[in-house]
Amino acid sequence: MPLDASLLVQMLLGALLGLSVYLPLRAGQLSLATPGFYAIGGYTAALLSTRFPALAGDGALYPLPSLLLELVLAALIAGALALAIGGPVLKLKGIYLAIATIALVEILRVLNLNLGFTGGATGLFAIPQPFEGPVGYLLLSLAVLALVCWLCARLERLRLGRAMEAIREDELAAACMGLDTARVKLLSFLFSALVAAVAGVISAHFLNTWNARQGSFDASITTLAFVVFGGSRTWLGPVVGGLALTALPELLRPVGDLRLVVYGLVILLGPILFPQGLITPELLRRLRWPFRQTSAEAPAP
Amino acid sequence: MNQAPLSGSPLLELQALNCRFGGLRALDRVSLAVKSGEIFGLIGPNGAGKTTLFNLISGLTAASGGRILWRGQPISGLRPDRIARLGLARTFQNLRLFASMSALENVLVGLHGRGRTPLVAGLLGTAAFRRRQRELEAQAFNLLELLELAPLAQQSAGSLSYGNQRRLEIARALATGPRLLLLDEPAAGLNPAEKSELSALIRLLRQRFDLTVLIIEHHVPLMMDLCDRLAVLNFGERIALGTPELVRRDPAVIEAYLGGAVEEAS
Ligand SMILES: Nc1ncnc2c1ncn2[C@@H]1O[C@H](COP(=O)(O)OP(=O)(O)OP(=O)(O)O)[C@@H](O)[C@H]1O
Ligand SMILES: [Mg+2]
Repeated sequence: MPLDASLLVQMLLGALLGLSVYLPLRAGQLSLATPGFYAIGGYTAALLSTRFPALAGDGALYPLPSLLLELVLAALIAGALALAIGGPVLKLKGIYLAIATIALVEILRVLNLNLGFTGGATGLFAIPQPFEGPVGYLLLSLAVLALVCWLCARLERLRLGRAMEAIREDELAAACMGLDTARVKLLSFLFSALVAAVAGVISAHFLNTWNARQGSFDASITTLAFVVFGGSRTWLGPVVGGLALTALPELLRPVGDLRLVVYGLVILLGPILFPQGLITPELLRRLRWPFRQTSAEAPAP
Repeated sequence: MNQAPLSGSPLLELQALNCRFGGLRALDRVSLAVKSGEIFGLIGPNGAGKTTLFNLISGLTAASGGRILWRGQPISGLRPDRIARLGLARTFQNLRLFASMSALENVLVGLHGRGRTPLVAGLLGTAAFRRRQRELEAQAFNLLELLELAPLAQQSAGSLSYGNQRRLEIARALATGPRLLLLDEPAAGLNPAEKSELSALIRLLRQRFDLTVLIIEHHVPLMMDLCDRLAVLNFGERIALGTPELVRRDPAVIEAYLGGAVEEAS
């Protein structure tokens, strides 16, 4: 398959999921809950658009205001869940937090599999299309990704972004400097949930069908790989990781059965050759990347 | 910030503090009071419980018994960030800087509490926000200058020399705007020249920021010269308390800890 619009959409959604994993990781929190919030976004979109005829409008295409409503609702639900569970869950550290968030993803998956209204194992079908073809999705995903990237880039130079970095470096010392570490960690978890839910909404329409497989343990690992591969210290890392690792399996199709081996090798060699990920702040500084100065507020472009 | 301390009442008071780690008594009914404006020293052999005492005061470790009063109010049980915001700042014996962040950013984290701007203003980079940002950076830079770190502002904290990292820890703690500064072995690992400058620096900081200082240090001559009063810990017990002259002549102290070092110092 060539690098067509559909693949590009998947890559952009991959970049968004990478950013969702990156946001808590920037504050030192290894949360793998992203696929859970992604699933929440997907189900919100799938349920609203297939079960509420009022939202579907009379035209051939699903109305954009309805899509916007789905985005807002999905963000609200995912955000509320993140705030509710973030308090207790973020008391856990390192690998324990990772396990707890994987458990959350699994709980949501099993619920979705067994609840009646989510369509059980077969899921929800015939999700209406707001666009005629992949190009519409491409533009939407591009706009959302650009917005999230801009927010992340700004965040990195704000007080809150600096607080996140300090917590990643040394949580205890950060607390002793007066930082409300629990609040900062909760905010980063919230941002992560919002980004994942938005990606889920777009994805559900794009895929046209949604089921419990969309938010599974495998997805936790895949999205983590985006960040490990791309780098977790600046927002550009997970974007590059998400784009590259989503594209790779498709681009490797000509290699045939070997492609999974090659894919695995890339994921394995990435961290060995670039322990901090492909993109690091030091690299950007060397390349004179204009949007990241050490601390000084960059002059407005 | 400028509330005058009630005359006579101590800034920080520890009442019969206990701290147990399993069977080990790290602190055993330790009481002492630090008066506003003084430089109060804490000495004692390795493992005496000095750092543990700092950890209790800064909220990192829970006491097993006793009370900690700050300006007469109990603060035991408060989270470390709450305690820091009350005006108690500390440095760490085993340096705990934000290693991959620049020296300037380390100090800016210390200034965190003073940088409040609405998130939206920050995201949009409004003029007011940028002005505030420049003010904070100027403040951070001034602190670095005071500690002779200004030329290293953009270097990552982890790449600084040991002595510079120790001073950066002090700069970062000062940035939180403390009334009481807790210094845990600030002279450890410094060369003799740096050590001799340290006393002058601490006196300067006290005067400049209207500080009270509680300092742990093994270097006895430095402490005898610097401190207004000293407490001596041994196996978790406070075995002496008073002016350097008093402590130096205390038989229990000579017995337990100081020995020849005192003779050297005088
Ligand atoms: N978190 C902890 N868990 C268990 N034991 C601890 C802990 N912290 C300190 N201790 C023990 O408590 C005792 C006092 O330690 P502390 O670090 O307070 O000594 P110190 O006076 O600072 O010594 P030094 O001069 O070597 O820094 C030691 O025996 C130490 O092993
Ligand atoms: Mg110690």
